Amino acid sequence: MEFLDLTIRELHNELLKKTVTPLDLVKEAILRAKADNNNAFEYIMEKEALDLAIKLKEPEADNIFWGIPFVIKDNFSTKDVPTTASSNILNGYVPVFDATVVRKLMDAKAIPIAKTTLDELAMGGSGTTGHLGTTFNPYDKQHENIIGGSSCGSAASVAASIVPFALGSDTGDSVRKPASYAGLVGFKPTWGRISRLGLFPFATSLDHVGYFTRSVFDAALLLNLLAGRDLEDSTSSDVPVDDYTKLLNTDIKGVKIAIIKEIVDSIYDKSINAAFQKTIASLKIRGAKVEYVSIDRKLLGALFPTYVVISCAEATSNNANLDGIKFGPYHQGNTYEEVMNKARSKGFSELIKRRFVIGSFCLMRENQEVLFLRAQKVRKMIVEKVNDIFKDYDAIFLPASPTTAPKLGEASDRLSDEYLIADNHMVVGNFGGFPSITLPLGFKKNLPFGGNLTAKPFNEAKLLQIANVIEDITGFYNLSVRNKKI
Amino acid sequence: MNFEAVIGLEIHVEMKTRSKMFSSAPVEFGAEANTLVSPNDIAFPGTMPTVNKQAVINAIRVANALHMSIDNTLVFDRKNYFYSDLPKGYQITQNMRPIGREGYLEIKTDTLRTIAIERLHLEEDTCKQLHFSEYTLLDYNRSGVPLIEIVSKPDIRSGEEAMKYVEAIRSIVIYADVSDGKMEEGSLRCDVNISLRPIGIEKLGTKVEIKNLNSIANIQKAIDFEIRRQEGLLLTGNPIIQETRRFDEALKETITMRVKTDAVDYKYFIEPNISPINLSSDFINAAIASCPELAQVKEKRYLEVQGLSERDANIILQSKDLSKYYDDAAKHTNHFKSLANWVTGEVMAYLNKRNIPIENFFISPSQLGLLVNMIEKNEISNKQGRDIFQEMITNATTVKEAKEKLKIGTQINDDNVILTYVKDILDAFPDSIKDYKDGKDRAVGFLVGQVMKRSQGKVNPGLTSKLLLEELKKR
Repeated sequence: MEFLDLTIRELHNELLKKTVTPLDLVKEAILRAKADNNNAFEYIMEKEALDLAIKLKEPEADNIFWGIPFVIKDNFSTKDVPTTASSNILNGYVPVFDATVVRKLMDAKAIPIAKTTLDELAMGGSGTTGHLGTTFNPYDKQHENIIGGSSCGSAASVAASIVPFALGSDTGDSVRKPASYAGLVGFKPTWGRISRLGLFPFATSLDHVGYFTRSVFDAALLLNLLAGRDLEDSTSSDVPVDDYTKLLNTDIKGVKIAIIKEIVDSIYDKSINAAFQKTIASLKIRGAKVEYVSIDRKLLGALFPTYVVISCAEATSNNANLDGIKFGPYHQGNTYEEVMNKARSKGFSELIKRRFVIGSFCLMRENQEVLFLRAQKVRKMIVEKVNDIFKDYDAIFLPASPTTAPKLGEASDRLSDEYLIADNHMVVGNFGGFPSITLPLGFKKNLPFGGNLTAKPFNEAKLLQIANVIEDITGFYNLSVRNKKI
Repeated sequence: MNFEAVIGLEIHVEMKTRSKMFSSAPVEFGAEANTLVSPNDIAFPGTMPTVNKQAVINAIRVANALHMSIDNTLVFDRKNYFYSDLPKGYQITQNMRPIGREGYLEIKTDTLRTIAIERLHLEEDTCKQLHFSEYTLLDYNRSGVPLIEIVSKPDIRSGEEAMKYVEAIRSIVIYADVSDGKMEEGSLRCDVNISLRPIGIEKLGTKVEIKNLNSIANIQKAIDFEIRRQEGLLLTGNPIIQETRRFDEALKETITMRVKTDAVDYKYFIEPNISPINLSSDFINAAIASCPELAQVKEKRYLEVQGLSERDANIILQSKDLSKYYDDAAKHTNHFKSLANWVTGEVMAYLNKRNIPIENFFISPSQLGLLVNMIEKNEISNKQGRDIFQEMITNATTVKEAKEKLKIGTQINDDNVILTYVKDILDAFPDSIKDYKDGKDRAVGFLVGQVMKRSQGKVNPGLTSKLLLEELKKR
């Protein structure tokens, strides 16, 4: 059965025609999940999913998500379903409530079939640091290359056509980078556009709910469902929800797109540069105005350190609830300090502890001014600079990554422009809470790479419009390992 | 050498809002452990805070009562530290921008003193710990209960002043409908910072903190003891150690809890899950306008408008519920002094005897107002009024029913009618007239009694005495 190779919209039509039932889909998805050899899953919701699917009899014409299987990154709270955020400190934790996005999808009768792996507590970009070990890239049968993270299991699930879409979270580029390495559409909207209630916080001011699809249209459909004010997330926005499909398939004549010169200059991969330039040329042919703009290299070079300071500082506080007292493995001790110390020493990996130490250090009274508050200032400077660009342009277009998926254990030079600027520029979308989307641009040696578009807050409809045109230009619609278009 | 005590108080007030500061779980004292808990209160991953509007309104009311300036932006911060009673590993509080700043409170001891107040801020309570020898139990019912913290400047100089200050704050939060103010239940908690310095010296001495004070009387006792203790140390050349002490009720002494080492670094930063909230002047004004009348304002009204004695006013104001009862009754009568006498006399005596709270008193304020009116209009005598009151509390009747049951008619106040009775009786008891003329005053009582009897108790006794004496003189 090849139905799972379809996009959400295509699948919906088959369900309406009753050529396939939700139960068929769920059974097949679970089969594929069980056969997965990329280490994409924390927990396969076999019984739960079958129970839901069996109840779905009459297709709902006006409900695009009816009977569609999907997977959930394991840092979303799911009622009665074990949720560990791929960290040992949460082993055995079974949440008592559903994240708002999970509830919305289940209310729409979409069917979650699994919880997916992530970098431990979503802190990481490699997909190698979760407590179940490395999650692999379905495009690389030899398991030599990473898929990227932190939403590694969700990316792998969609790239392997186990499901047509997956929930992820994006604090630095945790959806948009793996989307680049896995040939997917990876999208996060404006901060506050989708409720974060039930998303395990990493760095609150940077955290976004995001997701993977195999088409821009599907990304727009999902936003129609998930966007909106949530009274239980007071940072969620009450800006009216749009129909995000409304501009799709309209032309982009006169649309203004900015390319940041210093970022493109920091990318040395010829295949990526060629594909990028080719796309620009096509965009111009379709009537878009594409121009280079400049941002001070020093400011761009500050992206990564600024991100480290803010994200680690917020993370150390956000994860202070993980103390072994209320949930997660309990370790006996004579004092509360001993109980907490044991839980946290045993429960977190060294990488996580390092982040907490950095975060704590940045928040200390004597360091706050020079580290944490200075990072906030730099963040503001960067956001102001980007907002200046958005005064004249509808979107910024850039390669999503300077390379295809790196080899496992291949260390990048963390002081090079390629790393500091080209490999970390998507964090701008988190600093400013800008809507941002990655979509496939090309392949190099059978590995995909993507481009990234970012727009001003609440301009998702415009962003998706341009993305849809790029998808049309590249022809990389509904890309997966089973649907290769190389 | 004479010393001056320098005392600052930090008061935590637990609010009696319907729900918690940042979650929808109900707030209630004395419920079964861990029954009033939402996922937020246990800090389950992914939960988020939403601000309780009533708690903000309450804070504004109290800040206004303390003459503070009120911030027009509501901003919360995280106070980060690990402790077993702190589920999130941080407390959401207000560090940089407390909702209230720079206020004061006037207290009366021998003199009138103004105590400056530094800040008032909103925060959430921790969970409650019950320590046993082998283990500790945690009750999350208290986790997230809204708190107001009020921090005074170090303007307090004695245990008595501290007591008056806490009494005044307590009265404000109770009358403003913010808290029940029960120290014994932990609704109002007070920490004391105290140091001594030689009189005339600016420089502050070493500060000692006293925690866990569970009654207003103990605040005074603890401070008085601590002043004597520090004085003793200073006079014998011993250093004061910076530490936290507690007051031991049995010993009536403060005892070392822990010696302060370096101050904890709480790594404060702005709470990223709550975007700053603009408090419009309309909202602030409405919050202030919605504040029920405070005791201080009531007192002024009782004394200056209603003419009550200071004693009666004070008794009535000792309890918000009693003053509410009085105010409700006062809507039904203009005879405020008489009403106050009844409330502080008969009513209180009955309630105290039976140990019934005023809110459960079954004579309604309007019925008491009615009774007072009847007495004041001389429709019934004071004695009859008391009889009716007795009947009402014994058999839970209305004034009308009691009056009928006791066969109390409307009192006769007509001079002519009474005089007819008087003349009849004097004619019937010539011996008593003689007794009176011989200087035996009790004859008057006897004769009044006879008039009352003849009239079936309907004549106004005061008027009767007066007319009888006049008539006696004529005979």
